[in-house]
Amino acid sequence: MLGLTLKSLLARKWRSAMTALAVVFGIALVAGTYVLTDTTNQAFDEIFVKSNEKIDVTITGRERVDQPDGSVPAFSDRYLDEVRAVDGVSDAAGSVFTPGSILNDKGKSTGAPFAPQFISSVLPARLEALNYVEGRPPRKPNEAALDEAAAERGGLRVGDTIRLVGTGAALPYRLVGLTRLGSASFGGSSISQVTLPVAQRITGKRGEFDQISVAGKDSVSPEELKRRVAAVLPESLLVETGTENAERQASDVRDGLSFLTIALFAFGAISLFVGSFVIFNVFSITVAQRTREFGMLRTLGASRRQILRNVLVEGLVIGLVASVFGVLVGIGLAEGLSALLSGFGIDLPGNSLVVVPRTVIVSFLIGVGVTLVSSMIPAFRATRVPPIAALSEDILQAGGTRLWIRGLVSFVLGVAGVALIAWVLVGNIEGGAGAARIGAGAVCLVVSIAIFSPRLIQPLVRVIGWPIARFGGLTGKLARENSLRTPARTAVTSAALMIGIALVAFVTIFASGLNSSVTDVIAQNVRGQIILQGPGGFVEIPPEAVRDAEVVQGVEAASGVRYTQARVPRAGGTAVASVDPRSVDRVLEIDLVEGTQADLRALAPGRAVIGQKLADEAGLGLGDRFRPLTKTGRRPELEVTAIMASGNLDFLGEVVVSETQMDRDFGVKADFFGFVRVKPGENVEKVKDRISRTLDRPYPTVEVLNQDELEQRQREQINAILALIYVLLALAVVVSLVGIVVTLILSIYERTRELGMLRAVGMSRRQVKRMIRFEAVITAVLGASAGLVLGIIFAFLMGIPLEGEGFVLSYPIPTLLAILVLSALAGVLASVYPARKAARLDVLEAISYE
Amino acid sequence: MVSARGLERIYGEGEASVQALDGVDVDFDHGLFTSIMGPSGSGKSTLMHILAGLDRPTAGAVQIDGVEITDLDDADLTQLRRDKLGFVFQFFNLLPVLTAEENVVLPLTIARRKPDQEWVDQLMETVGLADRKTHRPAELSGGQQQRVAIARARVTRPSVLFADEPPGNLDAESSHQVLQLLRSAVDEFGQTVIMVTHEPDAAAHGDRLIALRDGRLVHDAPPVSADAVIELLKTLG
Ligand SMILES: Nc1ncnc2c1ncn2[C@@H]1O[C@H](COP(=O)(O)OP(=O)(O)O)[C@@H](O)[C@H]1O
Ligand SMILES: [Mg+2]
Repeated sequence: MLGLTLKSLLARKWRSAMTALAVVFGIALVAGTYVLTDTTNQAFDEIFVKSNEKIDVTITGRERVDQPDGSVPAFSDRYLDEVRAVDGVSDAAGSVFTPGSILNDKGKSTGAPFAPQFISSVLPARLEALNYVEGRPPRKPNEAALDEAAAERGGLRVGDTIRLVGTGAALPYRLVGLTRLGSASFGGSSISQVTLPVAQRITGKRGEFDQISVAGKDSVSPEELKRRVAAVLPESLLVETGTENAERQASDVRDGLSFLTIALFAFGAISLFVGSFVIFNVFSITVAQRTREFGMLRTLGASRRQILRNVLVEGLVIGLVASVFGVLVGIGLAEGLSALLSGFGIDLPGNSLVVVPRTVIVSFLIGVGVTLVSSMIPAFRATRVPPIAALSEDILQAGGTRLWIRGLVSFVLGVAGVALIAWVLVGNIEGGAGAARIGAGAVCLVVSIAIFSPRLIQPLVRVIGWPIARFGGLTGKLARENSLRTPARTAVTSAALMIGIALVAFVTIFASGLNSSVTDVIAQNVRGQIILQGPGGFVEIPPEAVRDAEVVQGVEAASGVRYTQARVPRAGGTAVASVDPRSVDRVLEIDLVEGTQADLRALAPGRAVIGQKLADEAGLGLGDRFRPLTKTGRRPELEVTAIMASGNLDFLGEVVVSETQMDRDFGVKADFFGFVRVKPGENVEKVKDRISRTLDRPYPTVEVLNQDELEQRQREQINAILALIYVLLALAVVVSLVGIVVTLILSIYERTRELGMLRAVGMSRRQVKRMIRFEAVITAVLGASAGLVLGIIFAFLMGIPLEGEGFVLSYPIPTLLAILVLSALAGVLASVYPARKAARLDVLEAISYE
Repeated sequence: MVSARGLERIYGEGEASVQALDGVDVDFDHGLFTSIMGPSGSGKSTLMHILAGLDRPTAGAVQIDGVEITDLDDADLTQLRRDKLGFVFQFFNLLPVLTAEENVVLPLTIARRKPDQEWVDQLMETVGLADRKTHRPAELSGGQQQRVAIARARVTRPSVLFADEPPGNLDAESSHQVLQLLRSAVDEFGQTVIMVTHEPDAAAHGDRLIALRDGRLVHDAPPVSADAVIELLKTLG
């Protein structure tokens, strides 16, 4: 029987291959993600292990409050002497390692736009991990070293001048050495080394270290040394062995990447889900076409189990083949994904691709699992073919599931889906748990729709097919009737497309909502006509830049805004912003619920303006005092002097303090934005040019933008992410188009005799082609319109809970219509091959068929 | 031995119902070749399907070698087919992906029994396809395909062979060969053959001719000659 199964599978090579193709993409995305993250993680593991090779114990600031950028506070350099005095320590040195900007002599960045750059200090040779491939370490205050790869990217050589920007102005340094860390690459990031005093000065860490590295005497184990060192240091410092430190950093990177991994897996899952529809359809059609064969096998003594096995083994084999290709394509995809991501500035280091057994095993489990599950229902349907089917002259359709069962299953799934989604929306479940429930809910809903939709197909196809039947002549009418012949088939085929289009519509609407929300937030909250921000809006800017801008001719006021996270009792992690009280009311529009603008101007250390949401959550009112825990471990006492309306997309967070307090107690020394108000009567563009010219030389990394440009930048970021999502969703859409192709070809095969008859009575090849094309367009437009409706509903539902945060939904009608038109065109594309095949049928052969 | 008692089969319900069989009692002894004839729609196929356990009667019972098959469940019926029954269809129903020989041994493959190669060779010889073993159905003529189907029906040495209009639309020469093969199953191996046919010539090959009209048994006697059969059919209308 196995031999027979394989033989009949081979005889249907073509459709088996298309079936396999339906899951190959999904498996490839999963395998590719694994390969990509494994490769990246391994590279980072190597980097961190190499960095700590000569180090027995590390001392770093302990993270008190999670920061979005993962930064930990620096600590006082006075602990170094205490560490040196510990018995068993042979060497100890403090160092600084801080994000900054590395520019060439002309002030241009040496790296990719979003790639991280770091300024670090040189360690004594006995602790230093970097090798000098050329030149030597910097010794004088005006010397710097740079990693080899960054030098190559920036076209820099020893002897050239580079400029470094920390928290102050850009200063020039002479390049005296090029470095390398073992054989590892840093991905797209760059590291420049300067002497310790210079590093401390330009990163605003005078008298502070980011880390103390310790080498022990041979007689002491790292663990013992760690214990001894920890004994003399306060709780606020984290003491680890070099190995522990490397492992922690590696796992931090892993956690950081896990978001990306989960997102890619999600797209893989979507593609597989769509693929399962295609497989289900192909198997259903194949089983129907083989009814007589199954009946014959039954009369020859085949049991139901054998028939079941026959179909499932086909599923198994197709799943295995798909998995093999999926893994191979996935490995190729890992390269492609890495290129795609680096196009977005997410550069991942990596030498050769890492393929571990887990990657292959999981891919196979998924490939085979999805195929088997999708072929399960058709397989059971095959077992219900009675032996008598072998003797009947017309092919019996194996009985479909009874209507009430269908209705019930569909209803239960639909209710479950809505309930799951509602649970998240009403219950305010955040993060992965919420997303998982929304996903499960969406799957339930889509399956429910797919099960029930054969009932809806009739009227829908009538409507959608109307213009085609009306203006497409006879071929149009026939096409519409053909789509209605097997409603279940049409339903499943278009449901597959519906999923992809629903997601496309959803993200399109959502992104458009984000865009208009950003515009609203800027328009409503920012009174300053000119905005200063770091490169790409990701990096902080020197506060001096804002101060310099303030004295430019034509400027009325300039104020910097800083951000951090702190933990507020009874409310947890909370976004905190600081403003400059002298000018805040002139550059920002802050909507106060309680208190006055005068309270804003009177903001001083010890006072805070809080958001309505926090006030409710933490039970705080005017005059109340609270003590947030800051990232540096302090607990400054703050008195609430005003309450502002929440719902500005976290533009000012939930707590606003004065700049002085931010600097002193929250440990944030650089601005994120600078807002500049132009004097009345001054030309904004002229003032902007003046600011640009003033800042260009000392602060080349600062971007000077007007409001339109800021909106534009924000929009570009959103659109870049949107483009990435489109590319990944395209995989799912392509899979559903494959579904349209196979379904068309199979139904053409079924209708061979009928097509021959039509040709015999005078239908031209062109008419045949047109008929098939119309069928494909009907299916595609059906799926796309259902998808659009579903996407709009989802976006609407998801928008409700976000409304409180200032999110405004907007519907980009032209884009949505374009999606519909593109889907119709995709339908035409999907029909090219099947139509040609149908047109090529030999008339005589077709009518004497069987 | 196959025996049927009080067989009734009603298709559909109410107004639209059709009484395909209306109280049929009939026995088929071992080693006899019985032809079933009758006008179109008289219930021949229905009778055969019920005798072979492919369909269940509305009333009445069927026994094959003493086993009441109308009570058997699907698994037991499957076993019965493997052990005792062979089928020859009007449409040859060969699997296009298998060779002639593979098609012949298919029932054994399905039952996971090892084919007796000597017996298979002999069968192929008997049906005159010893030199066509590795051909696929598409490479065989209609008559050859039907002979493969007969070899397949005989490969398990079933005690009863059912055939529904086996010569189908074959030419005279081929249909003669096909009938000869069924005849030899009876003569040389003592098997029982029950064949539905509408061709007087075919019926003349049998040991016994029964005729149906409107679902009732109206004739039961040894066939005399093809001409006599034609006369009989005329009286049945
Ligand atoms: N599956 C069925 N459903 C309804 N009526 C049927 C079915 N099969 C046969 N019949 C009816 O039963 C009667 C006997 O059919 P059948 O046994 O096929 O006759 P024959 O083989 O002698 O031509 C006919 O009237 C036929 O229309
Ligand atoms: Mg019949």
